[in-house]
Amino acid sequence: MTREEVYEKLNEVFQDVFDDEDITVTDETVASDVDGWDSLEHINLLVAVERAFGIKFTMGQTTHLKNVGEMVDVIIEKLG
Amino acid sequence: MSLVSAVFLGFVAVVALIYYLLPNKAKPYVLLAGSVAFLAVAGAWTLGFVLFTAITTFFAGKIAAGKGEGRSKTVAAVIAIVINIALMCAVKYYGVLDLITTDINNVTKAADGSFLAVAVPLGMSFYTLQMTGYVLDCLWGIIPAEKNFFKYLLFACYFPYMTSGPLNHYGELSKEFTKPITLEYENIRKGIVRIAWGFFLKLVIAERASVIVNAVYGDHQTYTGPFVLLGVTLFALQLYTDFMACMEVAIGTSYIFGIKLPENFNSPYMALSIREYWQRWHITLGTWLRDFLYYPLLKSAPFIAIGDKAKKAFGKKNGKKVPVYLAMLVLWTAVGYWHGGLWKYVIGSGLLHCFYIVGGMIAETLFAKMRKPFKPDKLPYKIFCGVRTFVLVLIGFFFFRAANVPDALQLFRALFTAGAMPEGGILATGISLPDIIVLAVSTVMLIAVDIYKFRPDQNAEPRLVTDLTGKLPVAVRILLLALLIIAIAVFGKYGLGYDSASFIYARI
Repeated sequence: MTREEVYEKLNEVFQDVFDDEDITVTDETVASDVDGWDSLEHINLLVAVERAFGIKFTMGQTTHLKNVGEMVDVIIEKLG
Repeated sequence: MSLVSAVFLGFVAVVALIYYLLPNKAKPYVLLAGSVAFLAVAGAWTLGFVLFTAITTFFAGKIAAGKGEGRSKTVAAVIAIVINIALMCAVKYYGVLDLITTDINNVTKAADGSFLAVAVPLGMSFYTLQMTGYVLDCLWGIIPAEKNFFKYLLFACYFPYMTSGPLNHYGELSKEFTKPITLEYENIRKGIVRIAWGFFLKLVIAERASVIVNAVYGDHQTYTGPFVLLGVTLFALQLYTDFMACMEVAIGTSYIFGIKLPENFNSPYMALSIREYWQRWHITLGTWLRDFLYYPLLKSAPFIAIGDKAKKAFGKKNGKKVPVYLAMLVLWTAVGYWHGGLWKYVIGSGLLHCFYIVGGMIAETLFAKMRKPFKPDKLPYKIFCGVRTFVLVLIGFFFFRAANVPDALQLFRALFTAGAMPEGGILATGISLPDIIVLAVSTVMLIAVDIYKFRPDQNAEPRLVTDLTGKLPVAVRILLLALLIIAIAVFGKYGLGYDSASFIYARI
């Protein structure tokens, strides 16, 4: 899966989780950029991403991803 | 050795002198020797407990981060964590060690003959959580296991934070311990200012507030109505200044060694919601619980399964919140229990706050409708939110400081009772008029500093008390520091008959 394809799918997940069809994420997107992405919603998002891509984040990744770019790196690494 | 004492200042001066005289390679070992001495003064049993936790978690971390099979790594981590948490619970809550009191008293008698005075290790709740976090960080691959036991032991018993935190992650603090350190004016300046500010908070404010607090919480017949409100509000002030004093001295002492510890407070009483309050109060505990309890719970298979079922039953939007509510219940029960195994803590600092947050989430649609006529960005609405949040926190303090839950309920009753004014009014509590003036003026100073430190975004790096004077000319800075020290010397509550060792959080 290319980075672009990952982003295409990831945007759908973000739009679904945060109920906002206008969300478009990039490498630099962080939690404070997305309305509703707080510590309460964080795990819901990660579980939705895991399901969409058929992967599993470790607990380390769950708490230490700095931005969406790092999340995409992990997804590509796990898919590869 | 209390952090707020002349002995402690002397101890820091001696350790710092040796620390800066020796080369960088030797510095961590100087801190380790100082820390072991600090713990030894606290009692041989304290040192023994810390060593036990350090050894078990060090080896568990090694296995957990090793190349072995996944199951054995998890088993090693779980065993070490369960042993240490169980030990903490046993020592702190069940008085299990009372069973062997006689034997231990034969070996190590406390001055007053009591066993617990020597046996309950200093800061056990803090170092147990900190080292448990290390094992989990190793297990989850966030950090490699430390190879050098002595370096790990320094993390386990670094004396500035041994009384009551702040809580640290090994990944961050180990870099601080091993970085090259030179004697820097800024570090010493920040260290001294923060220690002095800590002494001021504890000796001038907290100890004065405690006179009225003790009287009001101790006599519900005499003190009713507005006295109760004043007593509980002053307890909020006392707890804040007492705990923050401990943090200021801990962080300031560490600055002197060139080692930066995380901040633990960020103007908490200016929070606009209970959730925000907990992002500003005891920050390192909140982060620890989020990373090591709340997130793992929500990511566990049973909680995900509950979420799936709830979504089917209540719809996607409401259903996905059900596991969050359950995880919150576990989290807040743990917070309450961690503060002490009594119901007054479980309710006052746990379940009540869970009720506020979960209740707020459930009723969010209703609250959104109620908010509509107001302008949420305007100052009056923000003041309303701030006052409301503070009142909700105060309700928790009715329980937290009371002797027990029935006592807290009596205090509520006293609040709504119109009793006779005690003879002498507020002076009947034992506080003098000059003390009231000092308390009022110093509280205004604290509020001014907190307003300066406050940033509306709770996740933004907080301003510090040292930033307040950082840009002033050196002569003015020295003058201000001298005034602060004179204020502590003149107005501080210390001396014979006063026990500065009794930090509220040191008992937790």
